[in-house]
Amino acid sequence: MKKFHIDFYKNKKIYFALSIAVIVIGLVCTFVIGPKLDLQFAGGAMIRYSVDGEVDSNEIASLVQEATGRTVSVTVNQSLSDAGYQITVSFAGNQSVSLDEQQQIAKTLSDAYADRTFEVVQSSSVDPTMGARFFQKCLVCMVITFVILLAYIALRFRKIGGLSAGITAIIALLHDVSIVFFAFVVFGFSINDVFIAVILTILGYSLNDTIVIYDRIRENRKLEPTKSVDALPGIVNKSLNQTMMRSILTSLTTFLALLVIFIVAAAFGLTTVETFALPMMVGVVVGCYSSICIAAPLYTLWAVHKSKKK
Amino acid sequence: MKRVKKPVFFVIAALILALTYTAVFGVYTQNGDTKNTWIKSISDIRWGIDIRGGVEATFSPAEDIDATAEQLEAAKAIIELRMVSKSITDYEIYTDEANDRIIVRFPWKSDEADFDPETAIEEISATALLTFREGMEYETQTVDESGNVVYQTPTGTTAENVILEGSDVVEATPVMQQDPTTGSYSYAISLKFSEEGTEKFAEATERLKGQTISIWMDDIMISYPTVEAVITDGQASITGNFTAESASELAAKIQGGALPFALQTSDFSTVNPTIGLQSLDAMMMAGLIAFAVIGVFMILVFRLPGFVSVLTLLGQMAITFAAVSGYFPFVNSFTMTLPGIAGIILSVGVGVDANIITASRIKEELYTGKTLDGAIHRGCSNSLWSIVDGNITIMIVALMLIGVFGPSNILSQIFGASTTGAIYSFGYTLLVGVIGNFIMGVFCSRLMIKSLSGFKPLRRKWLFGGSDKA
Repeated sequence: MKKFHIDFYKNKKIYFALSIAVIVIGLVCTFVIGPKLDLQFAGGAMIRYSVDGEVDSNEIASLVQEATGRTVSVTVNQSLSDAGYQITVSFAGNQSVSLDEQQQIAKTLSDAYADRTFEVVQSSSVDPTMGARFFQKCLVCMVITFVILLAYIALRFRKIGGLSAGITAIIALLHDVSIVFFAFVVFGFSINDVFIAVILTILGYSLNDTIVIYDRIRENRKLEPTKSVDALPGIVNKSLNQTMMRSILTSLTTFLALLVIFIVAAAFGLTTVETFALPMMVGVVVGCYSSICIAAPLYTLWAVHKSKKK
Repeated sequence: MKRVKKPVFFVIAALILALTYTAVFGVYTQNGDTKNTWIKSISDIRWGIDIRGGVEATFSPAEDIDATAEQLEAAKAIIELRMVSKSITDYEIYTDEANDRIIVRFPWKSDEADFDPETAIEEISATALLTFREGMEYETQTVDESGNVVYQTPTGTTAENVILEGSDVVEATPVMQQDPTTGSYSYAISLKFSEEGTEKFAEATERLKGQTISIWMDDIMISYPTVEAVITDGQASITGNFTAESASELAAKIQGGALPFALQTSDFSTVNPTIGLQSLDAMMMAGLIAFAVIGVFMILVFRLPGFVSVLTLLGQMAITFAAVSGYFPFVNSFTMTLPGIAGIILSVGVGVDANIITASRIKEELYTGKTLDGAIHRGCSNSLWSIVDGNITIMIVALMLIGVFGPSNILSQIFGASTTGAIYSFGYTLLVGVIGNFIMGVFCSRLMIKSLSGFKPLRRKWLFGGSDKA
């Protein structure tokens, strides 16, 4: 059986530096590119039509502006599945579009192009206050969840310093959340409910990873006769190397499953699923990395530091 | 080590296969022309509007009126009634008192190619028209999904003679009445009319004593009481075989016709069903391929325990699908969305992990030179807590999501009912999946591995990840 002998604790500075570098690059990208907040959170409106022939985007834009008195941007794409075209009308600003206005637009368009049929493929219109509320709610939910998790971890791992275990586990989670967020920004995906689902999945996944490692540390600490803190880095390294094979295998299976989903989604042009699978693949790798290289060394550092103070 | 009996493997394997088969294909019997559903299958799963297309709309009172809880309930009752009249049966509707909103979500009807969502939403939120009419002549009579008769479209004298309109009703409340002769209690609806309404109603009850006055909401007859006395004081009651529930339902409908505000559509989104159905087929295919990849991977890496894990993962998936489709009579069927599928993926990931942890532990113990039985025993018991801890933390996350993003939730006080049920569905499938993992990946897989290790031809360390030479 393959055995690993990696001194994770000794290399901790390399890992921390790597993570900090990635986060700094991510932050720079976020400020340069800017996150695309979906209208689900920001409020706003978008209507997508399918049409059975070519149309001019500028003409559509001026027609819609005339009908609603609002500034719009229009993009026309050739549809993949049939000969038709897809027109996306995005409204500037974050105000929603009323039902009457939508009907007005549909009427204006079909009047202007008598020989073409327009069909609504997708439309969304969200009031900005509702969007903001939803966003707040997601944040509150996350904070409460973190507190409960901290309590559970602190309780379960009280023998190996529960609070430090809990807090370092949550630092690793925050690390993952921010990197997945950067992945969304860099890929140019919009921050919507898919983002929330990915974040939640990665949280669960990475947390599970961290817990498995802490569990092994707890078990090995029980076997060790000395209670001295000097032995801790050795115990942590041993535990990490023992759980390493499992971490890699689990991540690999999840990664493979997501890869299959991503390829199928790409083949069928399912953008929603693509925007789900791709950042998730990033998250699986990051989640596995953060549990091994961030959470466990941080926890050790904390314990060693605390004993030196005394 | 306590031995697990040899047949245990076959019993569990047979149970898992039976569960999977019935959960996927369901159990139906054909009785003449009627198809009886005994066990619901995957095809009975209700897919969310993000998958099969549909409409989501949020209604709120126009002109920033602060509606009371009763008024919102009344508005909800009207919307529900209109859904039924449009034969949209699988809608979801929530009222959100904190924000004065009503959220409606319903899928596209597959047989309606030229369905016009804007018109549908407009009709649903239009100001309700409540009428009291003479007689009870109607054009059509249909039966809705729950077996109630729906009378639609007034004709003849009923169409011509409108006695009262919604604005004539001041209040409609469910009440409990005591019969003066028998002393027994029954439910009824108490009506209070406006001054004008009182006059019209007195005239009508005098003329129609012993006959029927029917009550209509838009196009649907909601009640058809017989006039028992002439009512001149503007206080009437409708009696009959009401339950507490049916009485308050009818009262809400009548009250809805007297709503002091119109509804406006604040948020509105539609998703085309063709995108939806495509993504469903593709997701199914992706799921099957992903499962096959995981299965082959597990068997190649872990051999016999890998084979057991394929069975238990199958069982875990079957439990999840069963919980979603309404297979178990005590679990309601559930609307499945794309985030719901994400929840299943995560729970399968957690299930795979449980199997990997156990199998790697057995392998580790074998390499330290333990006997086969000793290694299996130690491997199973040492890995148990690590799996349980991981699973419980994920359950905490899932429960929080269900609690916060459910239709009525723990944060309702601050934020009101949820708009995005998608996250709720993620939490639900995740929770069910993790429970399934406890049953399958933790309990059944251990029993099966121990049971299999009792067979002579299988008692080889290689099959459990070790080396035969060691």
